[in-house]
Parts: sequence; structure tokens; C-alpha cells
Amino acid sequence: MVIKGFIETSFVDWDGKICSVIFLPGCNFKCVFCHNHKLVFNYKDLPDISWNEIKKKLLHHKGWVDGVCISGGEPLMDPDLLSVIEEIRDLDLLVKLDTNGSFPDLLKNLFKKKLINYVAMDIKAPLDERYGRITQVKVDLSKIRESIKLILKSRIDYEFRTTMVPGYLGKDELVAIAKEIKGAKKFILQNFNPKDTLCDNLKDVQPYTDKEMDGFKRAIEKYVEFSKVR
Amino acid sequence: MEPSIVKKENVISLVEKQKSAVLEHSPVSAIKHVRKRNGETVDFDQSKITEAIYKAARAVGGDDRLLAEEISNAVSMYLKKLYKEKVPGVEEIQDVVEKVLIEMGHAKTAKAYILYRARRSEIRKSKIEALKDERLSLAGDSTDISLFVRTSDEDIVGWDKYRIINALIRETGLDFAYARKISQDVEEQIINSKIKMITSPLIRELVNAKLIEYGFENERKKHTRLGVPVFDAEQIIVNRNCENANVPHNPEATNMTLAENIKKEFALLNVFSSEVADAHSKGDIHLHDLGFIDRPYCSGQSVEYIKKFGLDLPNALSIAKPPKHPEVLLAQMLKMSAALQGHFAGAIGWDAINVFFAPFLVGMSKGEMRQLAQMLIFEYSQQAVARGGQAIFSDINIYWETPKHFADVPAIGPGGTYTGKTYAEYLKPAQDFAWALFDVYKEGDGVGRPFFFPKPLVHMTERFFHTEGHEKFLHHISEVATEKGNTYFVFDRGETAKISECCRLSFKLEGTDFDDAKEPWRMRYSAIQNVTVNLPRIAYLAKHDDAKLFELIDKQLELSCQAHREKKAFIEKILSLGSKGPLAMLTMKRDDYPYLKMHRATYLLGILGLNEMVQYHLGKQLHEDNDMLKFGLKIIAHMNLKAKELNKTYGMKLVLEQTPAESTAYRFAKLDMRHFPGETKQVIKGNIDKMEIYYTNSTYLNVGIELSSIDRVKQEGLFHPLIDAGALTHVWLGESRPSPESIANFVVKTFRHTQNAQIAFSPEFTSCNACGRTTRGLRGECSYCGSADVDGITRITGYYTKISSWNKGKLGELADRRRDINLV
Repeated sequence: MVIKGFIETSFVDWDGKICSVIFLPGCNFKCVFCHNHKLVFNYKDLPDISWNEIKKKLLHHKGWVDGVCISGGEPLMDPDLLSVIEEIRDLDLLVKLDTNGSFPDLLKNLFKKKLINYVAMDIKAPLDERYGRITQVKVDLSKIRESIKLILKSRIDYEFRTTMVPGYLGKDELVAIAKEIKGAKKFILQNFNPKDTLCDNLKDVQPYTDKEMDGFKRAIEKYVEFSKVR
Repeated sequence: MEPSIVKKENVISLVEKQKSAVLEHSPVSAIKHVRKRNGETVDFDQSKITEAIYKAARAVGGDDRLLAEEISNAVSMYLKKLYKEKVPGVEEIQDVVEKVLIEMGHAKTAKAYILYRARRSEIRKSKIEALKDERLSLAGDSTDISLFVRTSDEDIVGWDKYRIINALIRETGLDFAYARKISQDVEEQIINSKIKMITSPLIRELVNAKLIEYGFENERKKHTRLGVPVFDAEQIIVNRNCENANVPHNPEATNMTLAENIKKEFALLNVFSSEVADAHSKGDIHLHDLGFIDRPYCSGQSVEYIKKFGLDLPNALSIAKPPKHPEVLLAQMLKMSAALQGHFAGAIGWDAINVFFAPFLVGMSKGEMRQLAQMLIFEYSQQAVARGGQAIFSDINIYWETPKHFADVPAIGPGGTYTGKTYAEYLKPAQDFAWALFDVYKEGDGVGRPFFFPKPLVHMTERFFHTEGHEKFLHHISEVATEKGNTYFVFDRGETAKISECCRLSFKLEGTDFDDAKEPWRMRYSAIQNVTVNLPRIAYLAKHDDAKLFELIDKQLELSCQAHREKKAFIEKILSLGSKGPLAMLTMKRDDYPYLKMHRATYLLGILGLNEMVQYHLGKQLHEDNDMLKFGLKIIAHMNLKAKELNKTYGMKLVLEQTPAESTAYRFAKLDMRHFPGETKQVIKGNIDKMEIYYTNSTYLNVGIELSSIDRVKQEGLFHPLIDAGALTHVWLGESRPSPESIANFVVKTFRHTQNAQIAFSPEFTSCNACGRTTRGLRGECSYCGSADVDGITRITGYYTKISSWNKGKLGELADRRRDINLV
């Protein structure tokens, strides 16, 4: 089991829960705004964090930490994912999975086995040529569509998330995304943060203002049950 | 005899002799009086003759004091023989001295004496001539000089040294003879200086210098003039005060600062013993709010007092009957708060306000309720009427349930009459009002900034969790916590009930309080003073010796207790003046007790820098090792016990408090860097190069370490049950904005799983002065318009302020604060 990052307690990764976060390395995307790019490239240089150490912390926070968020990278690519989930569940903790939606079959498997309690899927851009502009790799959009469909009809809790990168995504793009997930229970908008992004030339890009973000939220409200700016 | 014959180096011994001479009323064989050059008749003092002779002898190589005394005795006897009951003049006495010296065969000494006499005479003549030429002669002045004195009460009067004598006798009780001597010395000094105009403060300082010279240290203290140097006054008037971030910068504020400076000095000289005052000045302990020496510290009370008695304050220009409308109740509460703030140094808290407002709110629409809530919060946060133009440091305690101790209490309604119902029956309007208040907090002020005051303190009790709708309300107040940070979650576990105020202070209800709760207007709680002990310094002095450490802790607590007794005595003295005194308002008796119930008052023993104390003593910080935490707990438990022991001894309620330490954390750090640099450098926090240094507040863990919020509330919470006067853990949010559900989740777990007494979440904001918009996080420039004219806003200790008003120690702490919640 190769774990490359761990946050003991987070209030912001799982609405309503206090959770820990585990980062698994490796990703099939190279999103321009990615802050975890160290986990995408050269992650072998990052020190491993032993499961035992993490387990100790999780046990220490027994009764406080409700669950563990598995993030990455793209966790579904990780061969260790199932064993990580198993270990977490053995501690009687809930499991949340972050994914970019590239692996619907694996996701389906997790759903079927009822191994996860919450899934957060990133939708990077409208499902057309604009997707690749952000991910900087060729994306099989049918897989993304399949994952969306799978999540929408699943019985577990979920959220879709989009990071608003100025110059890449505006109101029209966002509405196009919202239409893809029409009827979704929860759609989270995240503002772009120029600090330490994968694409160095984004560092001078000004994030949207709070007011603009509110405007985006209003534009998509009618497509989903609940939306918010995080 | 001329006093100026006496040289300074021998003055003290001369005065000693004078003292004994005065005590013995002079030998019977001597003449009684001498007429001075100015016609004044004064007591004869033989020691002056002795000294003059001795001086003359020394001028020509002699050094036999006994001989000088012998000659002096001869002079005295000769004078008695010559003048009997008559009064000789100075010149006549000097003639006799010359004569005796010559007759006894001391020619050389006689010559020296004569020469000296002549020289003095010449100087005197030339000076008088010069003065006469230069100055207007003022009628009625008995002195032989004349110059102008500019007095403190804006007048210009002629020189009169009897004013000096008069002041010395009146203010210090000094004997006439010494007073006169000093007045003569000062007069001569002034003559020598050839100044034409002198101010009375300067004369006073010259007199003080003489008092020091003659060893009258106590008299000098009493005769001291309080005030500030011109340079300081200009600094205060022109520049901002950064000691207290709640103080604005305007003429009213500088009035306060100047007055505070004088009262501070007055307190240290006059209210406290020199032992206590010195300990404060050295930084062993810190006496809080010295500038407000004539006020108690803080106060928590009930709106019921206003509902029952109206606004009927001593010396008020008008009297209001009990209110009949909610807006009037609010207005009266506000005015009462302002009046109280004028009598207390610290916070003005109000208990269960939504509960007590409820009988006035029946039948109000949602919109009207919201309007009232908005009025309340804006009125408290905007009007700057208190202490030097500050906002009132105000707290409102809020309950979702009807607190158990008020549930069956008959409710007072409009016009001060009972409504026939109990407070439990007004639960709905009370809840609606609480909800509306938090609606207003959520929105923030006109530009979306968090309100600084009044601070809302929501009590979380078992009953809370059994009251319908608590989940929704918890979500509501958690949303305010994450959006604006205002909410304070106060945990009253088991049967505990508290009224909270100030930065974290709370008064635990016990015994008779619950009887008072039946007539809630009786519920008035005050702390008289806060004295904080410099814990790190104790560790430096103990040099890693446990026994010594605890011994020193006891010693400082005893000293703090002494400081409390001294302040108590002073406050009682003022209170005893009753309706004629400055604290008339606090002595008003609308029920069986004066407004300020001294017999129930508490005295706070503040804690500061436990983390650094443990770090120096044992080598590691509180969070680094379980043993450190245990030792820290042992220290606080010990202090708690010691406080209880002192309670018994002195019959005063001394309780431990987490000092908010807005300025003290910096002051102790600065003083210790000066007095214990080697030790201090090992443990001090902050940036030493910039001198942005501080000790960790009270029993807190290091603010800069990577420690999960869970561990922080758990570990800090371990100390809270030992700190009777209230404690608080901060969760610094920084830029992050957790979901209200996660905040609520954390709050419930803190209530259930820890002993933590109170928590607050503190986000940070940047408010732009150019475009008027507010954004999350602390930034150097506005993220909307790019202007650099921005104010950073976050909690300083227990309340919100603009960062631009912070002192250097607090800025150092802000840089170190670990925003516990990650931003991923």
C-alpha cells in the first residue's frame, strides 16, 4: 500500500463530517490548475506514509473523525485502493472517494459491493473538446458520461465538483456542465487558486471574485437540487 | 543664619541633627527664635551654627566636629545671655559667631567665616538688585525676590515660597522647619537660575528634588506630580494607541489615554503598596486596567433590572419608567450599557437576552422581529460612546431553550408588571428572536464584515439538545460561525449554568444564585480586578527546581491577592461615598442590594505563559509530550487550590481566569527579554528580530504548531474545569470555509467528548476601504479592486478587530497562528 499524503482532520473535504484525508499517487490527467501535481509526476520521490502510522492517528481520533476521504491523484487507478478501503472499513470508519470519472467500471464495482459511502466526482469542463484543454490529455468522454450516469442513479451520497478557472471556464461552460448532470443532488463550485498550480503560467491569473462566483451559482441553480460555492 | 552656608554633601547629617533638635524642642538654655532678613520669625536652630562653624573650619584645614559643637554651644549661650527673650536677627547672630571664634582663639576659622559671610552678602545684594531691576515688584510678597509663577489652574501669580511650605505641610505632613528649609533652598536655586517665569509644576519638581536630597522619600511620593511629558502628550494626541485594539483614534480616545496615564501612576503610587506596584512595574505580575483604577473590572447582569425598574440612574437628567415597547426596552438596555461602561473597565454582559425580551415580542411579525434584532446589533456595534469613544464591550447570552433556572420564573412584561405566565411559556418568541439575531450576524454589516460587538454567546446544555428545533438552530449558528465567526459556543454540561461575558469570563451560578434566579433582576455579577502572574519568569527564577517553582507560584498568587485586597479597599472607599461619590450608580439600591454587590464580587487571578513555563522548566512544550501536559495540569491544579486557600483566608472570591492578555503577553515578553534575556530567548514565541514577540496566552498550546483541532480542543479543554472564571479554545479558520454541518458536528463532539468550556471559530477577512467590499482571508490588497488600502479583520483575543490596531506582540502571534483546518 503506497500512501503519499495524509491530513489528520479536515472540516472541508466532506460536508457535515469531520474526516481524515489519504492521498494516493498517480493520475491519468494533467489538469492545468492541479495543486496535487506532486502526486501526478515524480511521486516516487515523495516519502511513503505507512498505514500503521495513519491507523494510529485514526484510532487516536476515534469518536471524532467520522470517515476517511481517499483522494489523489486518481484513486481508482491505484491497485491498492481496495485494500485501503478495507483497512478503513475495518476501523468502522466511513469512506469517501474523490474521482475524475475515468473509470466507471471500477466505480460500479465499488457501488455494487457497497464499499464507499460518498463519492465526489470532478467535472473539469463541458463534455467536448474543451475537456482536453484543461486535462491536457486526450479524454474518453464516454467514460466520463458513464460515470455521471452511474453516480446519478446510485443510492449513495455524492457531489459533483467543478473548479472555475478563468480563461477556461465561464458561465456558458458552467451551464453546459450543469446540463450534463441535470437533477443532481449536489453541485459544488470551487474557485480557482493560483498558488502552486501544475501549469506555471496560471500563477498570474486572478481568481474570480466572490460576486462572480455567486453569479455562477445562480446560473446553475435551476439545474440541480443543491449547489454552493466552496 | 543663611541656609545656603550649608553645603549639599553635609545636608543630610545636618537634617538629622535638625530632626533631633526639633524633637527635643532645642536646649532650654538657648534662645527660641530668630528673625530672618525678610522679617520672618523662625525657630532657632543651633545645628545650623555648628555646621557653619564646621564648614569654616574645614575651609582652613580643620576637621574637628566636636570642637565646632563646643564653639556653637558657646555661641548659643552667649546669645541667650545677650538677647534673653528677645529675637536676634541673622546678622546679629553672625556677629556673635565671629566674636566667639575670635575670643576662643580660632582666628583662621574666624577669617574664613568672615570671608564667606561677605561673599554671600555680595551675591545676595547683586541678585536682589538684578531682580529688582528686571522684575515687577509684587505687592504683598514677603520674600525679598519677585518673579512670576504660572500656576496649574491657569493663573499667573507672584513668587511666594510659602506656597511651597503650605503644600509640603498639607500634602505630606512634613514638619514646618523642613518645609521652610526646602522652600528656602528652592528659592535660592530659582534666584541663581535667573529665570523670569516659572511654572508651578517645575517648582514642584524642584521641591521634589530637595525632598530626595534630604531623604524624605515617602514625602516625595506624596508630593509627586502626575502627568506626561510634552513629547508623550504629543505622541498620544497625534498617534494611534495600539495597546488596546478596541480603542479608536480620536480626541475622545486620546483624552482617555491621557487620563489613563495619570490614573495608572496614581494607582501605582497611591492605591497599591510599593511591593505590589514594584512587582507590576518589574513584570512579575500585571495589574490589568490600572488606568481604570477607580472602576471595577467587568459586569454581567439581567435585562430584568431595566424591565422592573426602568432607567432611573443617580444624577441622570431624566428618569424613565419601565419600558412598554420592545424598542424602548432595547433603547434603555443600550443606555444602561453605556452608563455601566462608564463605571466598569471591561465588558458589559447581558444574560439570556432573547429569553427576557420574549414577553415584549409576542405577536411580532418575522419582519418586525428581524428589524429589532438588526437595531440591537447595529446599535451596539456602531455607537462609540464608551471609554474614550470606544464601542461598548458588550456580550449577549443566548439560549435556544428556556434555561432550567428561568423556566418557572414569572415573566415580567411591558410596564414592569408580571404577565401571569412563566418564561417557559415564551419559548417561541424567545427562539424567534435568537434566530433573527443570527440572521443579522450572518449578513454582517453594511459591507458584509462581521460585527465586532455585541458578542453572541450561545449556551449549549443538555436541555438544548432536548429542545425541539435545536438541530436547525445549531446549523444556523454554525453557519454564522463559518461565514462570519461571531458565534461563541459556551458549554454548560450537567447542571452547570453560567453567565458569560468579556473575552471568556463567566460567572458560574451556584447556591444563592439560583434563589436570585427566581427574581432575575437580582442577578448581577462583577469582577473587581484582574491580576496576571508571569509564569515563565517564575520558571526562570526556579532554575528547574520543582519545590522552588511551586513556592514562587504561591508567592506570586499571594502577592496578587494582596493587590486585590488593595484595590478592593480603594473601591470600597469610593463606594462608601455613596450617592455623592463617583460610583454613585453602583451604589444605587433599587432592590435590597446596591447595584454592585461587593459581597458577591470575584477577583481574577490571570494565567499567562503556562506553555513557556513548562518549556523552560522541563525542556519541552505542552503539546510535545504527555508528561508536559500533565505537569501543566499539575501547575494549574495547584494554582486553583491555592486560590481556594486564599479565598478562605481572606473571605474573597479569588478565581483563576484565562487572561485574554491582549497586551500582557507582549509586555511580559518584552520585560523578560530585557531582564532575563538568556532564559527568555529559549522559550519566547514570535519574531525576535522584529521584536514581535509574545508568550502563549494563558493555558493555551503553542498557536503555531501542527495540531489537529480535535487534539487542541481536547488538550486545552483539560485545563478548563480548573479555571473557574472561564476559558476558551480558538479554532483559527483562516481562509477556509467548512460546511456548517461539519462545524455543528465538531461542536456536538466537543460538548460530548471533552471538558472544554467554550469554543469559537475565527475566520479572517480583508475589508477594502477603497471599494467597500469584504473578502475572505488576509490579503495585502483587495481582490476586487486591487487597492492596498485594506483592513485585515480577525479575532485578537476574545473579540474581533482590525489588525492595523494590533500591538507588535499580537502581530507576531498572528503570523504564527496555525490555521487548523487545511485548505485542500
